[in-house]
Amino acid sequence: MSDTADHSGLPADELLAAEYALGVLAGAERAAAEQRIAREGVFAAMVAEWEARLSPWATGIAPVPPPPQLWDNIAAALPAHAAPASSGWWQSLAFWRGLSLASGALAAACIGVLIYRGNVPEHPPLMASIDGGGHRHFVATVDLARGSIAVAPAAFAADATRVPELWLIPADGRPRPLGLLRADGGVVITIPQALRPFATRDAVLAVSLEPSGGSPTGQPTGPVIATGKLTNL
Amino acid sequence: MDLDANRSLIATALARIPGGDRAALQTVYRLTSAKLFGVALRILGERSEAEDVVQEVYLTVWRKAEQFDAGRASPMTWLIAIARNRAIDRLRATRSSRHMEPIDSAAEIADGADPADSMLEKSEDSARLYGCLDGLAVHERNALRGAFFDGNTYDDLAARMNVPLGTMKSWVRRAMIKLKSCLET
Repeated sequence: MSDTADHSGLPADELLAAEYALGVLAGAERAAAEQRIAREGVFAAMVAEWEARLSPWATGIAPVPPPPQLWDNIAAALPAHAAPASSGWWQSLAFWRGLSLASGALAAACIGVLIYRGNVPEHPPLMASIDGGGHRHFVATVDLARGSIAVAPAAFAADATRVPELWLIPADGRPRPLGLLRADGGVVITIPQALRPFATRDAVLAVSLEPSGGSPTGQPTGPVIATGKLTNL
Repeated sequence: MDLDANRSLIATALARIPGGDRAALQTVYRLTSAKLFGVALRILGERSEAEDVVQEVYLTVWRKAEQFDAGRASPMTWLIAIARNRAIDRLRATRSSRHMEPIDSAAEIADGADPADSMLEKSEDSARLYGCLDGLAVHERNALRGAFFDGNTYDDLAARMNVPLGTMKSWVRRAMIKLKSCLET
């Protein structure tokens, strides 16, 4: 029998949303559905509708009190400072507001670099002020000639358990991992060849907090704490 | 506790979390953790794993509370979806489902529903869902139940009910189409 939707009545996307909400998908199919939820509002809404249809079935599951120390573990694992960053950042108003603020914040830094260099280079570097929660966390400079990106911490506060990871988000909205950052010093990251065409003006740099060693999935798994748009000098 | 009052308490507390209010998260935890622990335990079958998952769930709630829209979704629906997805992720990452005993396509399985003691219970939504589930064929209902309560994949369900994978997909999809159409009428 065919694997494809062979019943008229629901479009393929809606069936996929139903299958995800029910929980029957595994492996690549489940991961692909999760990526679509993160990126496509219409698909995410279909999944939410299916979750709402099915969740009353959880009536059939008796509540079981968790052990008392579980709350203490949760409280201890909350970030020590600052309001939580949204994980749905690419859909959030604060994220888009942050973008426009970041562009404005660049002017002073740009002028400083121009004076320092004393001329206008052949490949003008791109810069981004990577901000979040009202603070500038990192400043990034892309050297197009060398294919590298230098990132210096500004007001980034280290997290005891997680490391900052840098992402490049071009116009298609999909985050590409660039590498891990440091709270205590600058890093220079070589941009992978395949990603260099995406390191252009208006592409976005984002920093998320990830488990030690970086995101295990190739996509941000922790909160995105800061973002900034690449701008020409 | 009165259902609507409870729902509104949870929704109000969720709304305070994006400002960094830990007491609000604790309120949500106090009102919902037994239900979510029950959900995770049902899928995972092991207390220590269910505890890990519930911890992840509330840390997710802390980060994502601003995405919850009380005007559009019930807080318990939102929380249960997070708990089920985290539990399923854990199941998929560690091993196949705990629940793999054969299911007879023709025999009804009890799901142990106890509508008196849930925060979702006896709502119109739940009455309507149970009514529509009753309208499915027994094998369809059993397949959906294996997915929803046991965290079974299509492959798991095909094995448990001893049918080809394609047949199982067809059963589940047909059942979901029927369910949607019934819930909309």
